[in-house]
Amino acid sequence: MSRIDSLIRELRETRAAFGDEEVMSISRRYFVGNGFDGTMTSIGIAVSSYLSGVPDGATVLMIIAGAAVGLGTSGVWSVWEIERAEKQAELKRIEDAMLRDLEETEVEERKHAGRRVNAFMSGLGPMLGILIPAIPFAFEGVFLSMLQAAAISVFLATTLLFLFGVYMGRISKQTWYKAGFRMGLAGVVVTVINLFLPGGAQ
Amino acid sequence: MAPIKRVVIDILKPYEPTTIEFAQEISDLKGVKGVNATLLETDHKVQNIKLTVEGKKIEYDAVKTKIEDLGGTVHSVDQIVCGQMVEEIETPQD
Repeated sequence: MSRIDSLIRELRETRAAFGDEEVMSISRRYFVGNGFDGTMTSIGIAVSSYLSGVPDGATVLMIIAGAAVGLGTSGVWSVWEIERAEKQAELKRIEDAMLRDLEETEVEERKHAGRRVNAFMSGLGPMLGILIPAIPFAFEGVFLSMLQAAAISVFLATTLLFLFGVYMGRISKQTWYKAGFRMGLAGVVVTVINLFLPGGAQ
Repeated sequence: MAPIKRVVIDILKPYEPTTIEFAQEISDLKGVKGVNATLLETDHKVQNIKLTVEGKKIEYDAVKTKIEDLGGTVHSVDQIVCGQMVEEIETPQD
C-alpha cells in the first residue's frame, strides 16, 4: 500500500470513527471532563485577574493563551498515551481469541482511528472551555471595563458548564435543565471560592 | 480454467467489523455479485460466520485477502462451484 493510499485509508477510518458509538462514548467523557477543567480554569483566571489588579484585557488574554496551550496539550497528549495502552491491550485480547496477529488489518486501523478521535476530542474540550470565556477580555478597553469583562467571562463560562450538563443530560435521557444546573453550579461555586482567596478580598 | 461462481467459506472474525460490514466489503469486490453471511456461533470476543459468495468470476485470493484484512481467518472452504451451476442430487452415499 502506497503512502497516499495509507493516508486516504487513515482519513476514511478517522471519519468513520466519529460515527462509532463506542469511540464517541469514550470521546464524550474526555471532551466534557477536560472541557470542565478548562472552563473552571478560565473562571479562576478571570476572577483572580480582576481581583489582583491585572491592568488590561490583553494581559489576561496572554495568561489564558498559556493556560489553553497547557491544557490543550495535556488533553491530547495524555489521552494519546492512555488510549495507546488501552487499545493495544484490547487488540491483544482479540488477537488471543483469534489466534492470529492483527497487525495492519482493518481491526488495528480502527483502533488507531478511535485513538485519534479520542485525543482530538480530549484537546477540543479544554480549548473551547478556556477560549470562549476569554472573548470578553478582547474587548476590554474598547467598550468593556475589566470588571465588566470579568463578569461576562464568568457568565459565559457558567453558561458553557450549563451546556455541558445539558449535553450529558440529553445523552443519558435525564431532565436537561437539572443536569445543566448541576454543572453550572460548579462555576458559581468556583467564582465564590475565588472571591475569598487571599488577595481576592482586596 | 472455469471461473468460480460460488464459494462457501467458514470464517472466524472479531465482533468488529460487524457481519454487515464484512458482507458489504466482500460484495464490493470485483467479480462478486452477492454475499450471504450467516452467524453460526458467537463467543466471548469472536464470531463464527458462514459466508456464501456468488458471482460471475470470483477471485478467491481477493476474497481471502479481504477477509484477512478485515481481521478474519478462513477456517475452511466448504463448497466451490466452478463453471456452470450443477444441481446437487442425492446419491446412495448420502
